[in-house]
Amino acid sequence: MSITGLVIHAVPKNTASVQAAIEALDGAEVHKVTDDGRLVVTVDNLDDGKAAQVFDSFRTIAGVLSTSLVYTHFEEEEHGEGEHVS
Amino acid sequence: MSITRRDFIKTQAALAAATAAGTTLSGASIAKAASHDDDIRWDKGVCRFCGTGCGVLVGTKQGRVVATQGDPDAPVNKGLNCIKGYFLSKIMYGQDRITKPLLRKTNGVYDKEGDFEEVSWDEAFDVMAQKWKEALKKKGPTSVGMFGSGQWTIWEGYAASKFMKAGMRSNNIDPNARHCMASAVGAFMRAFGIDEPMGCYDDLEHADAFVLWGANMAEMHPILWSRLTDTRLTKPGCEVHVLSTFEHRCFELADNGMIFTPQTDLAIANYIANYIIQNKAYNQDFIDKHVNFNATTTDIGYGLRPEHPLQKAAKNPNKGKFNKISFDEYAAMVSEYTLEKASEMSGVPADKLEKLAKVYADPNKKVTSYWTMGFNQHTRGVWVNGLLYNIHLLMGKISEPGNSPFSLTGQPSACGTAREVGTFAHRLPADLVVMNEKHRDFAEKTWNLPKGTIPPKPGYHAVLQNRMLKDGKLNAYWVQCNNNMQAAPNMNEEGYPGYRNPENFIAVSDPYPTVTAMAADLILPTAMWMEKEGAYGNAERRTQFWRQQVDAPGEAKSDMWQVIEFSKRFKIEEVWPEELLALKPEHRGKTMYEVLFKNGHTDQFPVQDITDNAGNVYNNSESKDFGFYVQKGLFEEYREFQLNGPKKGHEMAPFDAYHNARGLRWPVLDGQETLWRFREGYDKHVEAGKDVQFYGKPDGRAAIIFAPYEPAAESPDDEYNLWLSTGRVLEHWHSGSMTRRVPELYRAYPDAKIYMHPEDAKARGLKRGQEVKVQTRRGEVTTRVETRGRNKPPRGLVFMPWFDAGQLVNKLTLDATDPLSKETDYKKCACRVVRA
Repeated sequence: MSITGLVIHAVPKNTASVQAAIEALDGAEVHKVTDDGRLVVTVDNLDDGKAAQVFDSFRTIAGVLSTSLVYTHFEEEEHGEGEHVS
Repeated sequence: MSITRRDFIKTQAALAAATAAGTTLSGASIAKAASHDDDIRWDKGVCRFCGTGCGVLVGTKQGRVVATQGDPDAPVNKGLNCIKGYFLSKIMYGQDRITKPLLRKTNGVYDKEGDFEEVSWDEAFDVMAQKWKEALKKKGPTSVGMFGSGQWTIWEGYAASKFMKAGMRSNNIDPNARHCMASAVGAFMRAFGIDEPMGCYDDLEHADAFVLWGANMAEMHPILWSRLTDTRLTKPGCEVHVLSTFEHRCFELADNGMIFTPQTDLAIANYIANYIIQNKAYNQDFIDKHVNFNATTTDIGYGLRPEHPLQKAAKNPNKGKFNKISFDEYAAMVSEYTLEKASEMSGVPADKLEKLAKVYADPNKKVTSYWTMGFNQHTRGVWVNGLLYNIHLLMGKISEPGNSPFSLTGQPSACGTAREVGTFAHRLPADLVVMNEKHRDFAEKTWNLPKGTIPPKPGYHAVLQNRMLKDGKLNAYWVQCNNNMQAAPNMNEEGYPGYRNPENFIAVSDPYPTVTAMAADLILPTAMWMEKEGAYGNAERRTQFWRQQVDAPGEAKSDMWQVIEFSKRFKIEEVWPEELLALKPEHRGKTMYEVLFKNGHTDQFPVQDITDNAGNVYNNSESKDFGFYVQKGLFEEYREFQLNGPKKGHEMAPFDAYHNARGLRWPVLDGQETLWRFREGYDKHVEAGKDVQFYGKPDGRAAIIFAPYEPAAESPDDEYNLWLSTGRVLEHWHSGSMTRRVPELYRAYPDAKIYMHPEDAKARGLKRGQEVKVQTRRGEVTTRVETRGRNKPPRGLVFMPWFDAGQLVNKLTLDATDPLSKETDYKKCACRVVRA
């Protein structure tokens, strides 16, 4: 299990198209879009070693100014899915 | 209601991202996730990679680091991470961690030509101590040496420096920061008499214009770049100027991108000074009160071996002397650098150069300049650093918010350890130098040593160490926390023959089997990053601590433990001569450990429980082993140099303060950090009414030092017809010994390649992706051609990164150095590219 939280800074007038492009990516979710063009995004990656490439691909979306990674969690799958925390 | 663990972690990730974006989320799952502390222990830490010094929160579970996040409370990065920082939690868990000492042996005994076999620490240190003692007996203290690091923690560097300079009485200790920051240090000392930038990262929000001189911040300092980008996009009228010898990612944001011919930055900087003077734009009041004018000695050679023809041809090899001149004389010297001349030499269109000059000359624009290796790895690195200070000083654009000449650093503690602790061959803690008798006296008194213990002559610097190993003059050698066999220039002719010289014994401390480790005779398994209590100092003078989060695997031990433990192997009589001992007879019969560390002073703080504010308890392996709080003892002793030493301006806070703070920028006076030095109102060292005081200099004035253009050591010719520039890429840090072991980073950028202009490729009958040989007078490397992508060199120049252990670029690079700073020029030599 590999889960990422990141902030994507986009040109404010393009946030709708940027949001659509991000959500089209496998495992990516947009949680919030701010007025000044910041998108709060999580990516739920498969452990296929491609995470760094996925992040780099955000740069190529039209209207994206910068991508900043914030949070990461790696864990062996055996303790992962299905475990309840409450 | 329950949520799955996956959802729970995802919510935490979203929360962290929202905080960094300055917003909030809402919803039931958020409240649940926020209130639940999970079973991960979080504590503050510092990133292991570059000199930015980002704060990270480190998440540990069952003795293993499983998560990191950008620390939202860290002023440097405000919750953000770059791609390397993002994968930090994986750097300690490469499959090939070394967990036991490895010694080359044949038939059970040490043999330089033997194969590596696992041995105990006792056996490793027995053999190593025997080799050091042999060298000392045969040739004296100049035959032993150490090569350290700007990645050493503060106390690791301090312990190593004390061990070498006080214990071994050898100044042959130098850090890999010599390859990276030495030119910056040289220029700071010449211009200001005290090291490190006067400004801080807050300039990123205050400046109206940014100028990058030989720094690819978008890839090498991504977090600072994101702050710069924010300012550029949100502040009306903000401009970004980028100078480089090839186009890179920073040009995407540039309002004025300039590609110049290598080495002509010297001419461009002098042109800007000339423009300021011709247009009488300079700040007369500032000049009258706060600067003096000088000209440096010219024709100084290229830091090559003395018998090299270029060295013989130089009129004043290695001379750094500069002499006072008048403003008018200075004006006459720079007048040669007209717009036409600078444009012709550099190949930059005149209108672009003029646009740049106008930004500096505009009294109403606050300008921050950034540079890294483009300036520092330069055979005139000290000069070119100084030429930029000249511009800022002429305008008085210095030491205030937004007006800042700022030397960025490449390593996490190049400032905090290499420079501040003074692990260079000529330095002592807190800006003191071995050549100065008063400085030596103070160090000897603080360390309770007899007068005359520390040798007055600087030791072998980085490049000289390799030459002396090859020449058989340096015989017992210890490398810690760096990968110099992959980094040092001209590996074929200097580095490798030096390590494999049968007269020499080479020990390398590293967590992984790097190129350097594999070239050694003994490999010592090393604890890294969160496996020890640590402290780094970043480029804005910010000192930051972390607690030991996990234990090191197997028998791996920290660099500091290794140095201190090794010192137990020496009776002081085996190292010091009788006449020295006679001056301090109380040291007779003691081990070096008892003189340097277990001496009633350095060991004054007892072992204690290390706890955070939440009450979590952390291990401290070294303190447990030695029986005193080693890190605290070393740091507080280091502070005596800052508080009582002959040079003011380096004061730090007490040890305990740093375990609470998100770092503090020195000088820390009355518990307050200093954001801008030398300016009244910001820096408490400035006397009242002085406004600005460059107190590193006896007269309080900064030195404007004229230096002319002089050519590079090696330029393209008919035989080798391309400039070769080397450097880094975003995904990998330095030699890749950590980042190439993170599967995601490896996969994102697996192998080095050579970036080339499509026309240059075509002219050689080469296609993108084709295998080629890159050849210089010193060696050749096989790689593949890249004609697209992030770097776009102009015709006549190629760029190749050095992270790839499978493609050793340092077989190609020339060991020409700045004759003043002794730092290698990795950005300029001549090569050719042919089909493989």
